[in-house]
Amino acid sequence: MGVYQYDLIDADMLRDRAEAFRDQVSRRLSGALTEDQFKPLRLMNGLYLQLHAYMLRVAIPYGSLNSAQLNRLAAISRRFDKGYGHFTTRTNIQFHWIRLKDAPDILDALAEVGLHAIQTSGNCIRNTTTDPYAGAAADEADDPRVWCEAIRQWSTFHPEFTYLPRKFKIAVTASAQDRTAARVHDIGLKLRRDAHGALGFEVMVGGGLGRTPYIGKTIRDHLPAHRLLSYLTAILRVYNRLGRRDNIYKARIKVLVASLGAETFAELVESEWRSLDGEMLDLPDVELARIRGAFAAEAFEPRPLRSEIFEGAKRSDPAFARFARRNVLAHKKPGYAIVNVPLKAPGAPPGDCSADQMEVVADLARRYSMDDVRVTHAQNLVLPHVKLDDLPLVFARLQAEGLATPNLDLVSDIIACPGLDYCALANTRAIPIAQQIAERFADPEMAERVGELKIKISGCINACGHHHVGHIGILGVDKKGEEFYQISLGGSGAEDAALGSILGPALSASRVVEAVDALVDAYLAVRRPAERFLDTYRRLGPDPFKEAVYADADQA
Amino acid sequence: MSSLLHAVTANRLEDGAVVFWSRTGWAEDFPDAELFEASEPAAAVLDAARAQTTDLVDPYVIDVRLEGEHPVPTSYRERVRALGPTIHPELGKQARGGPVVAAIQKAAGAARSSGRLSLIRRK
Repeated sequence: MGVYQYDLIDADMLRDRAEAFRDQVSRRLSGALTEDQFKPLRLMNGLYLQLHAYMLRVAIPYGSLNSAQLNRLAAISRRFDKGYGHFTTRTNIQFHWIRLKDAPDILDALAEVGLHAIQTSGNCIRNTTTDPYAGAAADEADDPRVWCEAIRQWSTFHPEFTYLPRKFKIAVTASAQDRTAARVHDIGLKLRRDAHGALGFEVMVGGGLGRTPYIGKTIRDHLPAHRLLSYLTAILRVYNRLGRRDNIYKARIKVLVASLGAETFAELVESEWRSLDGEMLDLPDVELARIRGAFAAEAFEPRPLRSEIFEGAKRSDPAFARFARRNVLAHKKPGYAIVNVPLKAPGAPPGDCSADQMEVVADLARRYSMDDVRVTHAQNLVLPHVKLDDLPLVFARLQAEGLATPNLDLVSDIIACPGLDYCALANTRAIPIAQQIAERFADPEMAERVGELKIKISGCINACGHHHVGHIGILGVDKKGEEFYQISLGGSGAEDAALGSILGPALSASRVVEAVDALVDAYLAVRRPAERFLDTYRRLGPDPFKEAVYADADQA
Repeated sequence: MSSLLHAVTANRLEDGAVVFWSRTGWAEDFPDAELFEASEPAAAVLDAARAQTTDLVDPYVIDVRLEGEHPVPTSYRERVRALGPTIHPELGKQARGGPVVAAIQKAAGAARSSGRLSLIRRK
């Protein structure tokens, strides 16, 4: 089980795609294609040229992998890269040391296990993301993977939406807690049931980060679920027609929605939607049922709610108890749990995963989690279906590989883009700042005392590190030729989505950790019981935090 | 601090590796880069590099200064390209070590790279 199994059409498509790219690479190397001709072709296969080498971004559709796929990623990292990969905020994986001449072989190796690099670049509909706890969360209105798979099939090579004004990102969530940052997507879809139990989507449009961040606006409270694809078509058509193509910085749908106003944009979409042939565009019930069947086949055993093995291990091993308290969450089925596997050991680059680590997680998934691994937008992994009885064993294996840091959503669970260590567009480094902060808060007791605190770091205004929606956001800026970092507070990508506000003048790299330290101290001094950092900031505003960081103004 | 020098860099087409123009052709290591005092000869090498379309991608001129006797790219971005990722000192060209690598690692101060500016202009 594990992931949706591709049919023969999908398998042929991936093989054909790899073969076509082999021919394109060959023609580029021979000189038959110029770089200008070749560049859009390589980008359509997720291949970028970065600072040190080519970077291949491999799609992980809605963040879902089985053990064979994760093992294959490990093998690719060993054979074609330097033994590691980097999981991204789009729940994809990037390999940073790729040779162009190897790229076709890599696509072949990916295709053999149903993976590819399609729609990981270019102005198309990118990999749809969803809740990493899909199919395991108790409160979800429906399994969002079903709808993500429908979107994947609809959007892949969609002839009308392959050359949009700009890239286009969709997230689907189905729980009260939004673990997808849906409000900062081009389209955020929230599955829910109305008062009569009918399934529908709240449709949010025009969110996004980058140089002009926006929180998405709801243009429909309850779209009947079975009408999803025609409604998405209507939105994309309006965007394709009216989105700006004259200015790359104003080409995203967020700028169109903001300039028209959400109401006018919604009217245009509704009008377009009414003109479409829904019967032709919407997913037939029989196809929806087929896709749903692929995800409903997870065979959970009837198990007692309480596990004596789990309870006993918590009593006897404080490290396990802390891991269980922090990283293990309730499952919809009695006797099972969701296990968060952080890629955030103190000092490790956020999201990096070695080939050895991938293989251990793949093995654990196969043995203990129904062959299912998820990637989160916070650059961690998840084993979604682990029996409570198996948790001590799983923990021991993870701990041995440095994959059991008990820091989910804590101060050291930092999102960071690759930054200037790899990225051709970055202004500054992001990973070293994340490493320094994580090391400062490496003491798990201290981190747990501070509580939920989401730090997000971007190395440039493109905001791949989601800094706008960090409780503490950190943006690297080039200030008079030096690496400086601008701090913002109060952002959130969750159900209480908000954009952070800049706290004050940017700080030199050497002052960032002490500033975060000062912010945490200021929070601890004034917080009320059960109040998160974000809640305290929202209650008191920026003044106590500004005072903490900039009290000694001449250091700013 | 000495006056500004110039070097010519690019990425190699077949593997994306950073390369520098040297007296004997394109070299992987920055210490081998030919340094130009005047901008004209660097521009001439750049023109020739642009014609090598089956070998090179995105050639451009970078600024270099001397730190003591060792050449060092002036921009932070170019120092990272010459060395490898700062978070993985065991990877990239920095792993080979040597006095020039040490001088680049010690260098402070960043300047805007002509590489990034031209990349943005092309977008």
